[in-house]
Amino acid sequence: MKYGLFLGCNVPAVRPDVERAIRLTMPRLGAELVDLEGSACCPAFGTFPSADETASLAISAWNFSIAEEKGVDLITECGSCYSSLRIARSKLLESEEKRKQVNKLLKPTGKKFQGTVKVRHLIDVLFNDIGPEKIRKSIKYPLENINAIVQYPCHTLFPSEIVGFDSPSGRPHMFQELVEALGASVQTYSRELQCCGGAGGFVKGSFANASEFAFKKLRAIKKETDAEFIVASCITCLQHLDRMQDELNKKNGNNACSLPVFDYNQILAVCMDFKPKEVASISTISRDEFIKRITKK
Amino acid sequence: MIDLTNINTKLWQEIMDNCGDIRKCFNCNTCVAGCPAAEGTPPLFIRNLVRKVLLGLEDELLDDETPWLCVTCSACEEMCPMGVHPFEVCLAIRRWQSKNDETYIPAATTEIFETGHTQAVGQAKDKRKEVGLEEVPPTIIKFPELLKKFQEMLRNTDIVRENDYMFKD
Repeated sequence: MKYGLFLGCNVPAVRPDVERAIRLTMPRLGAELVDLEGSACCPAFGTFPSADETASLAISAWNFSIAEEKGVDLITECGSCYSSLRIARSKLLESEEKRKQVNKLLKPTGKKFQGTVKVRHLIDVLFNDIGPEKIRKSIKYPLENINAIVQYPCHTLFPSEIVGFDSPSGRPHMFQELVEALGASVQTYSRELQCCGGAGGFVKGSFANASEFAFKKLRAIKKETDAEFIVASCITCLQHLDRMQDELNKKNGNNACSLPVFDYNQILAVCMDFKPKEVASISTISRDEFIKRITKK
Repeated sequence: MIDLTNINTKLWQEIMDNCGDIRKCFNCNTCVAGCPAAEGTPPLFIRNLVRKVLLGLEDELLDDETPWLCVTCSACEEMCPMGVHPFEVCLAIRRWQSKNDETYIPAATTEIFETGHTQAVGQAKDKRKEVGLEEVPPTIIKFPELLKKFQEMLRNTDIVRENDYMFKD
């Protein structure tokens, strides 16, 4: 199993501990990661896809060509990267005209889009290529008697015919089973499948409403579950649910909503006994006590 | 009363280039029901945007900033019973706005042109070193000669050619 690690922009710049966790945990599970030297922004939906479609597809094709040269599928954690690349690939494969346009743009760079590699999300690879059983056997510290909730990345669910790998899209189960493989109990709640609201222009354009939207989810978690931590597998969900708890606490003048938020590969890395300082060191809501409880250190 | 004296009857054709057949939209509200940004101020109601496009209300559409609230979750794309592809409508309207008023062009496009990224990937050296990673990741930021080729490629696109004052090396 060999994959091209597509880093995107947020993971390597803002949360490099997530990158570290992915780079340590995946090879431990038999998934070799190769670097995609020279890869750029996917590009994110709020950038070139909102300004010039041909330019946008050319940038995606640039990224694909790097993986194609190495003969590996791209693997990514970021939901936006995943969806942007999946949609771009689908548009390029559907239209010969668009393929011609981007290859004309790529030609002077010495690159070419051929459409020979796919884009995979980490949840897909962890569940379908590696499997919960292998993950269960790989960990040193199981999360026994600990309740979790999972945040499904919406970019891996919709539109299901282009991005989907879980089934049915309205009732996904793979992510939950991956968290259960670590020994935790996963609880469900009314707003489980609701988007975190952190991507795109909502937070920037309408901060008070975007905050309130996230608060509804957080209040539902507190009211309907006994969750002790949140597991995400998208850089935006990870950062947003962390930040919005802080905003909610500031608003309420207390620390009532302080659930540690982990990317899946981060909590997996902690359970595998990798150094928390490397794999889970950057957050707003402290994860230290929770990690101590798991590792008993 | 909607004033239809100054309308662009071809507007829907300009927008529909990269989305589903918006003429099939019957205002059922499914795209609004599950939309996070429909809770914004003002709210993003994609069905209303589709109405503006179909009626040819060009000036109103150009002034409407709500497409930029979209969180890109694409739930509307999944749920639309008419296959209109509301998320793609949203992006198509943004592109139309960017083409007709360059102040709509997202600043992040120029950042991608300059560095290949939307974040300061090359400036996170200490943070990366602390977690045991190489200081500069093996992306385009590490290879100046590739970034130059990337910029040359983008110089041949409409957006950069038509707005070259925005895009600097």
